[in-house]
Amino acid sequence: MSIYIYGIIDSNDRIDESIKGLNGIPVSYIPYKDISLVISSFNGDIQDITKIKVLEHEDVLDRLMEKFTVLPFRFRTLYNREEDVVSMLKDFYNDFSEDLGRLRNKAEFDIKVIWSGDKIIEEITSDYDRDRDISAGDESRGKLFMEQAYNKYKIDREFEERANICITVIDNFFSRFASEKKLEKLKSKNLLLDAFYLVDKERQGDFKEAFDSLKASSSDLQYLFSGPWPPYNFVRIEYGKD
Amino acid sequence: MLNDTVNSLDLHRAKDITLLEVLDKALNKGVIISGDLIISVADVDLLYVGIKVLLSSIETMESLQGRHIPKRQFK
Repeated sequence: MSIYIYGIIDSNDRIDESIKGLNGIPVSYIPYKDISLVISSFNGDIQDITKIKVLEHEDVLDRLMEKFTVLPFRFRTLYNREEDVVSMLKDFYNDFSEDLGRLRNKAEFDIKVIWSGDKIIEEITSDYDRDRDISAGDESRGKLFMEQAYNKYKIDREFEERANICITVIDNFFSRFASEKKLEKLKSKNLLLDAFYLVDKERQGDFKEAFDSLKASSSDLQYLFSGPWPPYNFVRIEYGKD
Repeated sequence: MLNDTVNSLDLHRAKDITLLEVLDKALNKGVIISGDLIISVADVDLLYVGIKVLLSSIETMESLQGRHIPKRQFK
């Protein structure tokens, strides 16, 4: 029997509400000073890892988020002995407390922006090809190769510049609602932006309204919105990673 | 009727997308405290686990529909 960890909450109060965790086992709490670790017992192995278990993990965090600030632990954090869990809680109390303070009453929102990257590259390429045709003549293969390589570099650079312009406009629009953000640019040609914003719970409505208005005003870009999430992207504690 | 079907497909797609978000976050993000203290389930690469989860059958996906997945929007 192992101990499965869901996360940490900013309360040490007795919590009467029953929340079911992995395998339907009710979660319990290990309080320490002003925080608590949320755990449940776990009996299983890697073969049992399914989507349902990931959703059960997330469901616990969602329920906790309704009342507390939550530091989400990564799925599959398991300890064998309770004394090790308590020891970890004490050792990392200051780090947990600092993160909880920074994230208090805030939630994560994700915005994905999709554009027609393939088409844009085609447009840029066709512009460069046209320019090249004008100057085309009898050229050596070496010169042609260099010219093609240089054109590719210029096309990539222009593509990136266009992306950066769009991203700056979009990010400026949403940043005013957020205390922190993480931007992942051009994860693929068509996924222009995958952005994570940390937004105060009181401003969530404004943030969603802003999203809706931007989405309605743009026909060239496709916007996807999800949230509120536990602040997975904004926790800073990664001790012993790899 | 057609609208119902379209709406149902949209809803299904939205759920799938949200599910992918859940998997991405829960498997790849969040607090990590490892080292001597932690004993993970097995020495299996997280990414491999992620792919394995994503490649589960459609039947499993459908069985999830009755579950409380998102109170999130994904438009």
